[in-house]
Amino acid sequence: MGIILDKAPMIARPIPGGQVLLTTADYFIDLGRKYSVWPLTFGLACCAIEMMVAYAGRFDFDRLGVIPRPSPRQADLLLIAGTVTKKMAGPIQEIYHQMPEPRFVISMGSCANCGGPYFDSYSVVKGVDRIIPVDVYIPGCPPRPEALIYGVLELQKKITRMKLAKGGGATHQQEKGSRDLAGSNA
Amino acid sequence: MKTPATREAAAAALLERCSDARLAEPGVKNYLTVRLASPKDLLAAARLLKGELGFGYLEMITAVDWLGPMKLEGLVSSRNPNPFTDKLPGPPVPPAAGAGAPYRPVLDLLWSFGNLRDGVKVFLRLEVPRDHPEVPSLAGEFAAADWQEREVYDLLGVRFAGHPNLTKILTPDFINGHPLRKDYAHEKDSYDGD
Repeated sequence: MGIILDKAPMIARPIPGGQVLLTTADYFIDLGRKYSVWPLTFGLACCAIEMMVAYAGRFDFDRLGVIPRPSPRQADLLLIAGTVTKKMAGPIQEIYHQMPEPRFVISMGSCANCGGPYFDSYSVVKGVDRIIPVDVYIPGCPPRPEALIYGVLELQKKITRMKLAKGGGATHQQEKGSRDLAGSNA
Repeated sequence: MKTPATREAAAAALLERCSDARLAEPGVKNYLTVRLASPKDLLAAARLLKGELGFGYLEMITAVDWLGPMKLEGLVSSRNPNPFTDKLPGPPVPPAAGAGAPYRPVLDLLWSFGNLRDGVKVFLRLEVPRDHPEVPSLAGEFAAADWQEREVYDLLGVRFAGHPNLTKILTPDFINGHPLRKDYAHEKDSYDGD
């Protein structure tokens, strides 16, 4: 499927009406992706408690199609919920590279965003964006489940702007900076 | 049935068995606290506690670095942490002589033993010099001592003689030195950036 999606723009663009076909395909693919953002079951510190609450009955992440997966091979979203220590930085990079494209990263809480209260520490990475690219940052210490849900809604907005033509089965993640979503309506 | 262990019985047995040991007053949180005189007494005291007095549970091992007072230049950021005021926090006030902690170049080790049957707790304290901190390992007596001693070694650099695998347990391999020592100087690594 990934190969078909990667080659689709190349095949569709030259034929008459191909652009319409691509735009329609983008719409349906993004719609599917948007409502099935499957995160990896992965918690690092106290933000993971808020993440668990968001999965549970009161906030019910299921209604947004957010269902935790036990393996990075099955996951679309890496939720960095907690403090990223230097010792954990290597495993996080490994998990990230085990995930199939298109993959998304949400940085949850002050520690994952910038080091937070551990900024001067000898053992904490000052922001997870120093080791992997991040799509959405959620401030808070820790953010409430509502904030996490809002973060996922923002990620869904980003997903609707992704295009097959930008490669990687959709707009792929750049080595540095955010996704190139320029020129997208929505 | 053994007679229940009491605070007084444990104190008497420890003081009798270990030469030059004395009761530390006040103890840790007012529990029975015995300060040992030399590392040689430690194994005997631990065996006595475990074998005869029924303190089978090693709750924790930790240590304090009493070096001081530290120069804080370069360690504390000089930026104003509060954007809503122009007033910078003043320079740190050095403690008055004689007040507070008596600074000395030692590592003060602390062991906590529990007797779960009788609900008694005993603390052992032992001072070792900072430049040559070596104490016998309790890993042979208490399995719990294995990781606890590795943690104290990792963060404070105390060498536990006879430990089966005395390696870093918490900090990553590329961190040099022992971070909880007062004179620890952090070397920048690849995760620190600018």
